[in-house]
Amino acid sequence: MDTATIRELLERHVTAFTRAAAFAELEDGKAEYDGFIENVARTHLQSPQLVAFLYALAPPAAAPDLLENLLEETGRKGPLERPHPQLLEDLLVAAGLADRLPTIRAEAEDDLRRLVAEPLLYGTLRDVGLAALTEIVAFEFMLSHLAGRIAVALATHRGLPARALEWFTHHSEVDVRHAEQGLENLATYVGYYGIGDDEALAIIETSLREDVFARRYFRAPKAAEPRR
Amino acid sequence: MRLVGAALYLVRIPFVEAFSHSITERRCSETVVIRVRDDAGTEGFGEGTPRPYVTGETVETMLEALAHELWPAVAGREVPPADDLAALAAMLPQTSSAAGITPNAARAAMELAVVDCALRRVARPMATILPPRRPRVTYSGIVTAGPIERAVQHARRMRAIGMREIKVKVGFDDDVPRVTAVREALGTAVSLRLDANGAWTFERAVAVLDALAPLQIAGVEQPLPRGPVENLARLRATTSIPIVVDESLLTAADADALIEAKAADVFNVRVSKCGGLAASLAIASRAATAGIGVQVGSQVGETAILAAAGRHLAATLPRVAFAEGSFGTLLLTEDVSVDSVRFGHRGEAPLLTGPGLGIRVVEERLRRYAATIRHLPGDR
Repeated sequence: MDTATIRELLERHVTAFTRAAAFAELEDGKAEYDGFIENVARTHLQSPQLVAFLYALAPPAAAPDLLENLLEETGRKGPLERPHPQLLEDLLVAAGLADRLPTIRAEAEDDLRRLVAEPLLYGTLRDVGLAALTEIVAFEFMLSHLAGRIAVALATHRGLPARALEWFTHHSEVDVRHAEQGLENLATYVGYYGIGDDEALAIIETSLREDVFARRYFRAPKAAEPRR
Repeated sequence: MRLVGAALYLVRIPFVEAFSHSITERRCSETVVIRVRDDAGTEGFGEGTPRPYVTGETVETMLEALAHELWPAVAGREVPPADDLAALAAMLPQTSSAAGITPNAARAAMELAVVDCALRRVARPMATILPPRRPRVTYSGIVTAGPIERAVQHARRMRAIGMREIKVKVGFDDDVPRVTAVREALGTAVSLRLDANGAWTFERAVAVLDALAPLQIAGVEQPLPRGPVENLARLRATTSIPIVVDESLLTAADADALIEAKAADVFNVRVSKCGGLAASLAIASRAATAGIGVQVGSQVGETAILAAAGRHLAATLPRVAFAEGSFGTLLLTEDVSVDSVRFGHRGEAPLLTGPGLGIRVVEERLRRYAATIRHLPGDR
């Protein structure tokens, strides 16, 4: 499987996300911003654990990238780095949602608990790993394109200071590189573990399905509706 | 034990992706959940999905039936012992069809809530009244309508997760190339059946089924619209593909008529459509006596509550030709229970062994996705 196929698929999802009515509302000052911020935090609070899982499964050629990703997620890349979950918690606090923090933490933990506890969709760890890697790479890819726009929307319409939006700015800058690495890593993973292209594509599409970003960041019934 | 409070939730949870068939396309669930509470504070949850094109029920008629007919019938009354499903179901008034409405979804929701509450109160699992006959339930995958390319894409995804039985939605101009393409994508090892949702005329059904017969079709569901059972019987005599009845089967009387007319090979028994567990068991019993197979069906967009009820039903019946449902978060953005009910690889799912229905409903999630919340008299 080549990176061009994966890129095209992810670009389609990013485009669909920006065309969603909910994304337009986010940029137009009409969104329910607190809910959006909570959903972003819930989606990514457990990312370090998922990346650690993926590092354990990484093919040799992709392992260094995933290790670097893991160090960044856990704030161990450099002396001034902070764990990404901490950045998300700072975002919640700056948005005046500190009282919601325990609930959001519990929801994120519950999402991970359910992921671990529910019956596996796939018959091998190889396929489970591909599904998980797809999700991580997809969000890195989307954030590398849109984190800046989202940060601007939150600054403009929710009045959040730049410091509170560090998680977004961090991802928009850093994840351009991560996103490209991610595409390579996905292709490497598929090749290393000998997954047929059709089979890999089916697993990747199953992980993304429709509106993968909208359904995580906007959980309201109208989220996935296209812009009218 | 007396029931002292109840609340109704019209729940709309966004789908991960649109689900379409010949009658409608859905992008979110449309389901009614009832929470009852007894005098000890024990809660029970039930669910029904109103489908105008199946039982004639709408959200409005269902909420009305629950609030003004079913809840008054059980509120304040002594609830029978938890191990007596027949007595629990008998608390509710008999369902009868009127003005094109068979209020089975409302009845199912109330029955499930009462049963769940009664079992939870004594910390007993559903196995108390529906002893399982198998250690797990194996579900079918579904390929929804839409362009053929999308159907093939769905089929490949189903194959990737190891599904061994797949149902394809048909009822379109391109049925033959659609099913041919799906069969090609799945290979011959997967059991394939069709669901027309009553979209075909008799002549169209004969033509399509003749054309598809070489593709090893395991069954065709509701090929003709609900109507005279003789039409289904005539089609059954014409085709070698087994006939599964769904929309034609709402009540025990329907079952009797279908059996009498020799109009079906398989009954699709769905808890919501058929009016609850007791009514579903009664229909399945008639099927078994008549040598007709049973498919335990589901409602598109049902939450973990109905999925759990279907799981228990599928686990307890002596023979189950096919089981459907338990898509959980494969279809819903978020389900309403703490524990996942979604099936896993090959469509297999374990039994639910906790108290009551075996799931833990998070009422906050019902509130989050509720388009309407109605507290019935007595609810705190």
